[in-house]
Amino acid sequence: MRKIGYTFSLILLITFFSSCLSERAKPALDNTEKIEIRIYEVFGMDCPGCQGGVEKLVNKIPGVLDSKANWKKKQIVVRIWRGQDASDEAIFDAIRRANFTPGKRTK
Amino acid sequence: MKPQEKRKKRFLSFLLISCASVAFSYSSGISVDAGLTPAQDRWIFRTQLRYMSFGSMAKINQKMEMYMVPVVLAYGLKSNLTVLCRQPIMRRDMSMMGASHAENGFGDLFVMGKFKIYRRNTLNYTLGVAATIGIEAPTGSDAFSSKTWDLQPGLYFSWRRGSLGSDVSIAYTWNGFANKGQNGVNPGNELAFDWAISYQFGLGTNSRISMAPVLEVSYRDISSDRLNSRDIENTGESILYISSGFKFTVSSLILEALLQLPAAQNRNRIQIERNATWLFGLRYMF
Repeated sequence: MRKIGYTFSLILLITFFSSCLSERAKPALDNTEKIEIRIYEVFGMDCPGCQGGVEKLVNKIPGVLDSKANWKKKQIVVRIWRGQDASDEAIFDAIRRANFTPGKRTK
Repeated sequence: MKPQEKRKKRFLSFLLISCASVAFSYSSGISVDAGLTPAQDRWIFRTQLRYMSFGSMAKINQKMEMYMVPVVLAYGLKSNLTVLCRQPIMRRDMSMMGASHAENGFGDLFVMGKFKIYRRNTLNYTLGVAATIGIEAPTGSDAFSSKTWDLQPGLYFSWRRGSLGSDVSIAYTWNGFANKGQNGVNPGNELAFDWAISYQFGLGTNSRISMAPVLEVSYRDISSDRLNSRDIENTGESILYISSGFKFTVSSLILEALLQLPAAQNRNRIQIERNATWLFGLRYMF
């Protein structure tokens, strides 16, 4: 039983620390001339765990710097390099592949 | 060997046989989100520590404790298809009339595919329906393997409205669909029904943390084992669990705990009684 307990505790610790590392804040970029901020409605997110799934897919789109989803506000904020080809349709497609439904682009 | 020791050994063998069928079956627990398939390219690592205890019969004072750590890895292959594999690590402690026996080992490997049948996301509610098909291969240690190939189809429904969520799942396990178990015995098939209701509230202003108390009702009906197309006596049972617990989410990490209480048990005379099951788990998505 002790071995199982130790194994389980070790898994718990490793997972917790890797979760903390993945949550490190990205360097702030306040150069608004180079960065465009867009906000899209997202329906179907029901917990904080859902946010990461859609962010991962949106972040893979060429031209996207990063994104931050919010299940409470039902939206995702996407930072895009100006002049890069990150279309609304590509972002809608990423939201659909995360099994959510895109709404309007509000900003 | 002294006659008393021989008697103890015989009792332990008897206990092992009578416990085997009940031990492999367990209620899933924290079954929330089952109908909502994860995002494409999403990995989910999940593990739990389950502690199950089985009661004693007054005459022979038998007792069994079981520890189980199922390790699950799931991947969103497509937005409508998730693949999953589960490998349980197990330990069983048994005691009777002063004699005791312990076993460690691996359970059977389970591989499953989950298909999105229907998903509707609106401003007010979310509804998801998913079907699963799983196969359990007889890869486990002798003490923890049914030694049969088992097929498990299932259907899952999830509904969310605001902070309230409800999940229903129905699964059927066809044990020994491709072969027979040890000594030609076909283990009994199993019908499982789970219903869960949860209320989720965000903690603080940060949308990354939430807490959800969960209430679950689980029913298991296990039919009798069969030998030469005949039911084997003293096998098969049905159990109703009522469980309460919580799910604590910090971003991509979910911690969960659940206490499962057997509210009703219909078992035969040699099977030992199931007591409470404790469950502590974590899920990490990346």
